[in-house]
Amino acid sequence: MADEDLNQQFKESVIFPWLQSVADVWLKMVQTVPPNSSAMLKVQTALQERFSQQLDTNLNMLKSFSKMIKPPEEKSAAANAAGALPEIFLKLAKSGFDVAMEIQKHLWEKAGKIGQRTEAYKFENLDQEIFKAFSDVYQNELQQYFKIPPLGLTRFYQERINELLDKHNIFETTLAEFLSILYLPMEKSFKVFQEKLKEMAEKGEIPAATKENYAMWLKILEGHYMNLFKSADYTETLHRMLNHFEDFLIVRNEVIQDFLTMMPVVTHKDIDDLYKEFHLLKKRVKELEKRLGISPNALDQR
Amino acid sequence: MGEPKIPLDLILEKMAEDVEKAKERVSKASEVLQGRLDTRLAMTPYEVVYEEDRVKLKHYFRNENAENKLKVPLLVVYALINRETMLDLQPDRSVVKTFLEGGVDLYMIDWGYPKRKDRFLTINDHVNGYMNNIVDFIREKHHVPKINLMGICMGGTFCVMYSALHPDKIKNLITTVTPSSFDTDKGLLHVWMRDIDVDRMIKTFGNIPGDLMNFGFLLLNPARLMIDKYVGFMENMDNKDFVENFVRMEKWIFDSPDVPGETFRQFIEDCYKKNLLIQSKMYLGGRRVDLKKLTMPLLNFYGAYDHLVPPEACNQLTKAVGSVDVEDICFETGHIGIYVSSKIQKQFAPKIVEWLKQRDQEDVPVAEVPSAAGRKKASAKPLLKRKSSATVAKTIVGKPKKSHTSKNSGRIEGR
Repeated sequence: MADEDLNQQFKESVIFPWLQSVADVWLKMVQTVPPNSSAMLKVQTALQERFSQQLDTNLNMLKSFSKMIKPPEEKSAAANAAGALPEIFLKLAKSGFDVAMEIQKHLWEKAGKIGQRTEAYKFENLDQEIFKAFSDVYQNELQQYFKIPPLGLTRFYQERINELLDKHNIFETTLAEFLSILYLPMEKSFKVFQEKLKEMAEKGEIPAATKENYAMWLKILEGHYMNLFKSADYTETLHRMLNHFEDFLIVRNEVIQDFLTMMPVVTHKDIDDLYKEFHLLKKRVKELEKRLGISPNALDQR
Repeated sequence: MGEPKIPLDLILEKMAEDVEKAKERVSKASEVLQGRLDTRLAMTPYEVVYEEDRVKLKHYFRNENAENKLKVPLLVVYALINRETMLDLQPDRSVVKTFLEGGVDLYMIDWGYPKRKDRFLTINDHVNGYMNNIVDFIREKHHVPKINLMGICMGGTFCVMYSALHPDKIKNLITTVTPSSFDTDKGLLHVWMRDIDVDRMIKTFGNIPGDLMNFGFLLLNPARLMIDKYVGFMENMDNKDFVENFVRMEKWIFDSPDVPGETFRQFIEDCYKKNLLIQSKMYLGGRRVDLKKLTMPLLNFYGAYDHLVPPEACNQLTKAVGSVDVEDICFETGHIGIYVSSKIQKQFAPKIVEWLKQRDQEDVPVAEVPSAAGRKKASAKPLLKRKSSATVAKTIVGKPKKSHTSKNSGRIEGR
């Protein structure tokens, strides 16, 4: 009696009706898909039948499995787990929403500073906050997803691919930052050039020839670049970009090597090992040649 | 700040005139560019007399009937970056040609294009390996105990190392735009290299790609090298001679062999980061490079506006070596201008020929063919005795310019 009550309770719980309704939806959807043409009709009908049969089988298996759960504690645990599902989804969605909001917040904050650029010819404390914001958000909110430990037979390869995506994202961010810094002198030089033209116009000394204007702008641009290149911020960004570029290339090469090892071709790693042995061997031969008084050229002539 | 009041009407009027001129130029330029252009470089005849791995030794043909020939042959060692063809870029501006006309028996090392298999080659392999074998080959061929040595840029640094380790084989040493003291903030390369993660670079690339280095060189002065240079080309593309020489320079500048990884690592670590060479603390193949053992006459050239190897990186050498006959010559030009600028051409190579001739008078014991071991040390007669660094002969050639990067440096030198 008690068992029947529990079965009834389970049937009335969340999982059973949910399972039933989901299966019904899929079955009906499969059965009601209209065929596109008479030529496809046979193939599609066969596929639909196969799919609905498979779905039906799976549903029946699930039903049998649910009936096998006898002990009340297991039933309630299953029911609880099913009840927890929406909560998990909600949590995941909330986490995603939080990340999106965080990104937006950071970007809005930093974007507000874009107008507050540094003065002409000065490149200390560059306003690169927008890129720092991107990399902060990436490192704090997104990078962790690439670090989730993969499981199963292909876990090693998944890990490599994740690392490749991670390094690629970091490199792209630093490259964007570097290119933006490289563009700064252009922006500044136009501003200074405009001011200079205004000054000259006021004095009535404005150069008539385009070439003179160009030479003036170029000199301003060159001056800005020289100042930029000497700044600590530039050197740091350059090195950071180079390091991330190299990190990305190292992982990219490893991924390529993983694929190459599946094929009957040698990899750089194999060749490098061979080259090293070859290099050491050659050195020993040359040393011996020297001791015996044989010129390397003499061997070629023989 | 308000909007600047710029007389746009005047500027636009002028621009319209310029556009008319540009139209004419473009139509003439299309004839030039579609016509037959001679952009070949390194056309002076030579033969390859020695080969080892990727390395070749070029021997140029001089007029054997010419008067006033030099007895001691000269070996020129170029850098591992870019190619030695720069010394023979165009017929009317060829260091090689001037040397041959001056009676120099000229040899030049062609380092070739390092492949991945060359990534483990060290500075020692280049200096005490290839260079030493080549020097021995020339000595044996000419039956002379010593030869003259000239180095360019990094090749000059190799020559300094070689001359300090093998002073018994070098009669006179000429260094041109040669970095020997690396502890300076004047050159951007020196600043950028200090914090570079060289191990990571080698791990990534094996050999350092020539294109990557060229990109770095372009970044040293993008305004001139990436904008103004090509604006200059557009302005002169209706001039056939200009176009031919411009293309020659472009061909040379972007013909960049990779640099063997281990050599690059040691050059950055020992030279750029630790500045060991000038302190006589650098080791090659277990031997210390003691600059005090560099005792032959030394002629040292550098460019006042060289932004790759600034004067501060070059002018310490003559004070650090053991030679008593030393001379510094500073040209008012950049890194490449020394070899290709038409103005400097008239002074640079003829000065070397003259300097060598003054030191070539001493008879070389032709009968005594030197053997690799136990060779007699030939004595050199110093022209300028030096007791302290204050007596170093120093020449500044040309008028000082206001800017370190002349327009010329962008258009002609390329870097």
